[in-house]
Amino acid sequence: MRPLFSETSVAAVRLIVAVTFSVATIFIDSRFDALTLVRQVIKTALWPVEQVAFLPGKVSTEVFGWAQSQELIVTRLESLALENERLRTEQLKLQTLRAENSELRRLLGVQERVNERLLQAQIERLSNDPFVHRVTINRGLLAGVAAGQPVISADGLVGQVVAAYPHASDVLMMTDATHHLPVQVTRTRERAIAVGVGRMDRVELRNLPDTVDIVPGDLLETSGLGERFQPGIPVAQVKEVIRAPGQPFARVIAEPLAPLARLSLVMVDLSEDEL
Amino acid sequence: MIFISTWLVTLLLIAFPYPAFLTLALPHFGFLFVTWWGLMRNYQLSMTLLLISSLPVDVLYGTALGLHGLLFALIAYALTLLGPSIRQVNWVRQSTVVFVVLLIASSVSYWARTLTGQSPEFYILVLQAFVSAVLWSPMRWLYDGLAQYTQEIGAERQ
Repeated sequence: MRPLFSETSVAAVRLIVAVTFSVATIFIDSRFDALTLVRQVIKTALWPVEQVAFLPGKVSTEVFGWAQSQELIVTRLESLALENERLRTEQLKLQTLRAENSELRRLLGVQERVNERLLQAQIERLSNDPFVHRVTINRGLLAGVAAGQPVISADGLVGQVVAAYPHASDVLMMTDATHHLPVQVTRTRERAIAVGVGRMDRVELRNLPDTVDIVPGDLLETSGLGERFQPGIPVAQVKEVIRAPGQPFARVIAEPLAPLARLSLVMVDLSEDEL
Repeated sequence: MIFISTWLVTLLLIAFPYPAFLTLALPHFGFLFVTWWGLMRNYQLSMTLLLISSLPVDVLYGTALGLHGLLFALIAYALTLLGPSIRQVNWVRQSTVVFVVLLIASSVSYWARTLTGQSPEFYILVLQAFVSAVLWSPMRWLYDGLAQYTQEIGAERQ
């Protein structure tokens, strides 16, 4: 192996070459998305390493599961049975509403929406970089996951798949600073773009007119614009509306409905590519 | 062999699923890996190897490809220049120098991240550099032990 810094001048030249190469790679990757294949190959090669890293967590979960008392398990089962009954009743109502909705759409001559195909996935790890809100889920290309598909939880939208690998996928959460999401206020149908600010508990609506009709407590849902997310997926709840005197725009701060920092199970909406 | 074993351990430490609340208090294991190589074994390190080894780190952290290559190259260069003067000093002084170097790398990271559309908060990068510098000593001990173990295994095979 050749030594790296045998002479200072040679070292400086090598540093300049490395810096130039790195900056060019950063530029190509972030602006043109041209290195997806490289990322996929590396991620696939890292799969065994990740599995070894996940092992302590999996073992501790198993051990914790075994250590739970019989009484606790029975209580949990009872509560799950009750929850199941409630959900089955809700599903019956939902089926009626779906049928009604389908009939109304037919009467209005609007194309019927494709049935949702949801795939359950488990969050394996959260990126350790504090500025990157990405999670790795345990479903990938082999399970039908593809880049661009929305990821939701029981409480609301989580984000979207940005990279799919054979056995896993990367999901960009809506709170990531690079994520922009078309939303609407459920009460007024006012449209806006929800921008992540790099905090798990916050998204912001920017550049809204000062006179906009939004109040704390309003719910935000996906508007369907951009054709990536179906309309009506719950997103966040408005926490604060900042109207600075003399400023033409209001700033709205909202909190995601899904507990992003504590999530373990999510659903990937596979039907999106059929929209 | 030593490079591969230390690199694999670093990747394991990065890939480990830490709880979300710990994210702010975590050291940058990739920086510590390069610090060890730049300070202790720079005569065995090649720039190409460093750039290639940085790509999986980018993938694991979810950052733009090349970001860690840039930072690794800067850290390795700075520590190689400083290496002879700080290799034998006590751990407090060594950690202080490591902190300064990582702080410079963090500033470059801040600039590069801003270019890629992120909005990082600088104090978090400073905190990460500080935690990494504090943990430099135990990590050096870990890498030293690992290198020795790998060397012994290599010698036994021969």
